[in-house]
Amino acid sequence: MSNEFAQFQDAFFEEAAEHLAVIEEGLLQLEQHPEDLDLLNKIFRSAHSIKGASGMFGFNAVAQFTHKMETLLDLLRNGQAAVSSTIADLLLKSTDCLKTLIDAAKSGTPVDNETVQRLTVELAAASAGNVPAARHASESAKVAPAVPTGKAQSYAINWTPPEWLFQRGLDPLQVIKELGDLGTLSQVAVDVSRLPDLAEIDPERCYLSWSMRLKTGKDRQVVEAVFDFVREDSVLTIEECETLSVKREGLESGNEIRFTNDERPSESGAAKPLGEILVESGVVSRAALDEALAQQKRVGEILIEQHAASPQQVEQALQKQRQQEATSQSKKADTASIRVDTAKIDKLINLVGELVITQSMLSDLGTRFEMSQIHVLLERMAQLERNTREIQERVMSIRMLPIGTAFSRFPRLVRDLSAKAGKKIQLILSGEETELDKTVIESIGDPLTHLVRNSADHGLETPEVRLDDNKPEVGTIRLNAFHEGGNICITVEDDGRGLDREKILAKAAKQGLIAENEKLSDDQIWSMIFKPGFSTADKITDISGRGVGMDVVKRNIENLSGTISIKTEKGKGTRFTLKLPLTLAIIEGMMVRVGRETYIVPLLSILESLQPRPESVKTVIGKGELINVRNTYLPIVRLYEVFSLQPEHTDPTKGILLILETEGERVVVMVDEILGQQQVVIKSMEQNFRKVEGIAGATILGDGTVGFILDVRGLMEIACREAPLVA
Amino acid sequence: MAAAQPETAMKDLHQPSESATGGSQFLTFNLGEELYGVDILRVQEIKGYTAVTKIPNTPSYVKGVLNLRGTIVPIVELRTKFGMPTIEYTMVTVIIVVVVKEKVMGLVVDGVSDVLDIDKKDVQAPPNFGARINVSFMNGIGKSGDKLVALLDIDRMLSGEDMQGVAAAAA
Repeated sequence: MSNEFAQFQDAFFEEAAEHLAVIEEGLLQLEQHPEDLDLLNKIFRSAHSIKGASGMFGFNAVAQFTHKMETLLDLLRNGQAAVSSTIADLLLKSTDCLKTLIDAAKSGTPVDNETVQRLTVELAAASAGNVPAARHASESAKVAPAVPTGKAQSYAINWTPPEWLFQRGLDPLQVIKELGDLGTLSQVAVDVSRLPDLAEIDPERCYLSWSMRLKTGKDRQVVEAVFDFVREDSVLTIEECETLSVKREGLESGNEIRFTNDERPSESGAAKPLGEILVESGVVSRAALDEALAQQKRVGEILIEQHAASPQQVEQALQKQRQQEATSQSKKADTASIRVDTAKIDKLINLVGELVITQSMLSDLGTRFEMSQIHVLLERMAQLERNTREIQERVMSIRMLPIGTAFSRFPRLVRDLSAKAGKKIQLILSGEETELDKTVIESIGDPLTHLVRNSADHGLETPEVRLDDNKPEVGTIRLNAFHEGGNICITVEDDGRGLDREKILAKAAKQGLIAENEKLSDDQIWSMIFKPGFSTADKITDISGRGVGMDVVKRNIENLSGTISIKTEKGKGTRFTLKLPLTLAIIEGMMVRVGRETYIVPLLSILESLQPRPESVKTVIGKGELINVRNTYLPIVRLYEVFSLQPEHTDPTKGILLILETEGERVVVMVDEILGQQQVVIKSMEQNFRKVEGIAGATILGDGTVGFILDVRGLMEIACREAPLVA
Repeated sequence: MAAAQPETAMKDLHQPSESATGGSQFLTFNLGEELYGVDILRVQEIKGYTAVTKIPNTPSYVKGVLNLRGTIVPIVELRTKFGMPTIEYTMVTVIIVVVVKEKVMGLVVDGVSDVLDIDKKDVQAPPNFGARINVSFMNGIGKSGDKLVALLDIDRMLSGEDMQGVAAAAA
């Protein structure tokens, strides 16, 4: 397949994913508002787009399946069938199935045909109007495709499609192809006798009719079902026959175009193999060709025969080839793209235009500069600064997507969870338009899912319990996103039973996480649930409760340099607040100085900074320094020692101590001075150099020089090593 | 078709090293009185010396890192790398920015001299000083008129663990 084609395919998959999201969202809403015709139309349009595009790219399984869904949707749209929860459920399941089909088409992996078949039949049954029997149909259908009737039956099919065929965007070839999938199609002929002169042709009208023979093991109904969508106004005859003679007037007029199924040019438009052409032109017979082909050997076999390579070597090479194919495939799946609002790009282009103007004004000024014009220079410099800052912001915003894309999966999730857990749950989403970095959005999906599952399973009570507690029967889960400072906050909130203080304490004591009568603040108690293996659930359900999870959630959030906090009240509910940076490329940092070097400490890891009193600094074994911070002794790491620098101060009481925390461990780092807080853009050290211990990355400081961002974890590790480092 | 593929792949592999030795144009620079040359195709740019930020716990010849239009580029002081005495930087002290295995690096040298065409036949194998002097990162000795140019194999010189490898227990 050519590269350009692959490129369009990528676009198709991307669009299909979007359409699927629209369908799913629409179906969920449709359940609530069954009469909403606009909604139905929206769903129909998306399904139709998938069908059309997938057919164009030759993903027939997808096209056929979508077609079945579309039939049902069309009936709903025309009011010929009513939206029931059974139908909505069926359509949702079909959407899932469609998703797997599309994924399969993307990766080229086989699909679970049984599900597809079953849903196809269910959809057909629902379209035929016997919705209540859907369950029944699904059972019988499970058997049907597996056991064909055994006898191959021959059908003579004559089909004159309705004239409006093209107007509705239908493709007659699709129907014929579908027939071909049922069995062997032969003597396919098109009748063009009704075709008017070119000048009179209405391109949106179908003047053609077809005749063909189909040999299949399938029932007559199955064959008829292929025409379901085009049956209206069609002239269709399907006759069972044993004889091979077909005589129709249209064919005898001589205007005959023939193609049989196996002679049809391949979809990718590749040229025919030489043998085929020879057979067609009558140079050799089919049998002779087959014989010749059978003698043909693979390159590897020939090489082995000629002793040019050993069988093992060939086998290895073949394996390598397979690997390469596999990697090239996986590479293809990895290419990520982003859709950007054109308005954003237009604005950016405007800004770049302004930047160019500012630059030319400056260079104009530069060529004939006098000291008296210094104020003009300063003014233009200020303008340049404004331009660049705005461009920076706009460029960053290109990577920003509304968080709604991450939220969109939750209505479905909550719907399924509530059904599974027998609870009544209402999901309220807000702040979906809040924008944040694409990579962040992609990585918060899983942690959020986990929190929502937890709320649904542990947080919310069953309807009976809720009624007993004088609460509304329907539990509420609220997802909210909003900006706060340079961060984005996402809250997951439920009005369920809240965290049980006593239960957590008892469990923590039992697992030896805390001493029996240790005094803990509420926050400390709540943070217990983030410890690995900690679960207070009485019973393990298949939704959650295994005690794996909250620690993973916490770790994921921390990987994004974010924080997670809990607010809970017994009987009232629980709220998890995730605080995330807007983008991973920029962090909030504290600039510190050691000697003449400037380092940046990630602000998130700083708990506090202080200048100690002499009496609070103690030593053990003569040199191990500890500092007393509110009755806890923490080890001091002198940054100048770790990094072999020339410091200004060597006395902790003269310098500044930063108390840093990472992954629950604390360390005190001594520096000379705190210079201030700044947002810094993280640059990779590994791109041109290598990883340096104790340094997380580099950044460009205000004066254009490079500053290093400290890696708190790495610092601890260096400090823990016994021998001092030699540069 | 498939059989031909490995062959082309092999050729591609040979390409870089071939051009490193067979390339006929060299950028030459001074370290003291001595003249050195690097394959001109490997040179990205030459820039005046600007202050660098020292990287903690790295070998002394790694001078530090520099902001080169937004990317962080490590700078190697060739005098230290060769064990020559360091000197005060002057107006002509420059950084030659080279590309080594897709990584961009800078070399501090006393000054750039010239671009020389050196024919393959004018290149002789690196001299053998035994264990006294390490010439492993030299490709050969080039002759241009009465000048002698030590041709450097920057791939071998700058792709060691210190520059590109994983940070082992540093030093």
